[in-house]
Amino acid sequence: MIRTEHLTRRFHDLLAVDDVTLHVPQGEILGFLGPNGAGKSTTIRILTGFLPASSGHASVAGHDVADDSLAARAQLGYLPENVPLPGDARVDEYMQFRARLKGVGKARRAAACDRALEQCGLLPMRRRIIGQLSRGYRQRVGLADALLADPPVLILDEPTGGLDPGQRQEVLDLVAAMRGQRTVLLSSHVLSEVEHVCTRVAIIQSGRIVAQGTREQLETEAGHRGEWELGAAAGEANVERLLGWLAGRGLQARRAPGTALCTVRLPSEAAASALLAAAVQAGLPLASFRPLTRSLHDIFLDLTRSSAA
Amino acid sequence: MMRRLLPLLWRELESLFFSPLAYIVLTVFLVLSGFSFVIALSVSLGVVSDTITLFLGQGMLFWVCLVAVPPLVTMRLVAEERRSGTLEVLLTAPVRDGEVIVAKFLGAMVFQAFLWAPTLIDIRILRGYGALPDAGQVLASCIGIACATALLTAVGLLFSTRTANQIVAAVGSLTFNLLFVGAPVMVDAERFGSLGRTLRTLSVVDHMSSSFGKGLLDTGVLAVYVAGTAGVLVMATRSLEARRWR
Repeated sequence: MIRTEHLTRRFHDLLAVDDVTLHVPQGEILGFLGPNGAGKSTTIRILTGFLPASSGHASVAGHDVADDSLAARAQLGYLPENVPLPGDARVDEYMQFRARLKGVGKARRAAACDRALEQCGLLPMRRRIIGQLSRGYRQRVGLADALLADPPVLILDEPTGGLDPGQRQEVLDLVAAMRGQRTVLLSSHVLSEVEHVCTRVAIIQSGRIVAQGTREQLETEAGHRGEWELGAAAGEANVERLLGWLAGRGLQARRAPGTALCTVRLPSEAAASALLAAAVQAGLPLASFRPLTRSLHDIFLDLTRSSAA
Repeated sequence: MMRRLLPLLWRELESLFFSPLAYIVLTVFLVLSGFSFVIALSVSLGVVSDTITLFLGQGMLFWVCLVAVPPLVTMRLVAEERRSGTLEVLLTAPVRDGEVIVAKFLGAMVFQAFLWAPTLIDIRILRGYGALPDAGQVLASCIGIACATALLTAVGLLFSTRTANQIVAAVGSLTFNLLFVGAPVMVDAERFGSLGRTLRTLSVVDHMSSSFGKGLLDTGVLAVYVAGTAGVLVMATRSLEARRWR
């Protein structure tokens, strides 16, 4: 539903987006993660047709965002960062205006507005002037606008920025409920927000995608530390036997204090497989054997730090 | 096109009529046009056709209104949306940039029609005193004002697309208007040869005093305004689209 291929955007000397290739299939929620200034909003502005790419292609629901921009935008609900809204309009007047602009027919318009307002908890606020609403409610108005024409694709740029923890959770719950129904690209610089909501994560730093995949994939691939953990069967004797066997093979093992878990560093997956096979053949009392990985949080910090450096 | 143009136009009108600036402009305009009418009455010594020519084409206050009002009305149309970020929300909806420009132009024109409409009450007052204004002269003057206002409004809109600062947009378009209206009158057409004569044919002051102000509708002059307005609106659309150029 959302696809970019080798997307690049240059502002004079600044390469804001550098060869970004992304694919968000139908029904998936992609967390688009990166620190401030990493290129998230520029990528999103290209996807929404507001800015052109310097090179590369982007499409939304099969429509090229540059050549078939109107059709692409008709399939899209967009919540920009900081939610710019006209301060002089009432909530329901603004929703009516946006519904007409998005081509929602007269017969369906009132129901569409009511549904979007209800989804975002705005029904009690519908007669209020937008400029007098709190930041949280303004955010909801922006989200209701994005949902208004029931678009198959949603692009949400920092949808929780400036919200208190309660409001933040409400927005994330709303997005999580869309899984399988809408295709969502959710940009954020806060990992904890996206890791429980999104099916996949793409991490961008200095305009480049530095990692993408499911949480498990990232933790296994990007998060591999080159260390394996061997768990001995219960009993001190078993732990001692395992440590002795590892020492006999020239491997320095670390034992986690008070546990039956030992950690060894191995050069490759092949070496790990060979070690496991040898342990089984030697009849060692092994209870577990697994690679040690870092959390997604650590991976995010490492990737964004190392790329920035 | 109309499906999207009408809501855009309606939103523009709401925005224009709900802004305090609109009512400041309206009040100042009414005061100035009232003064202008009183001055035209006293200077023309009761000759109705001269009163109308002075009031709707030659008086200094008339020109102040004609030149200064379009920049004030148009300065915020795009610049303010760019500054506040609402332009991004607007232009990422399924609308064409040209539709946005046309809606903003029509909104500004409707608002200015609302500003100028009370001047017709002044003309009506003349009838109350037994003086019968020539309907053709009044109509031609109104068409002339509409033409000049349309052109200067399109120019103001163009300036508003080029900046996120309303004041810069207003000063830019006001400077242009002063040069566009003033230069042909001040330049000695004979001394500058063909350039001077070309400038003279574009003189809004000449058009208002010798054509529209006398009840004449010169199709050549009308074509200049229609083509000029359309051309500047196309430039404003291109200016808005410029962000999409690679």
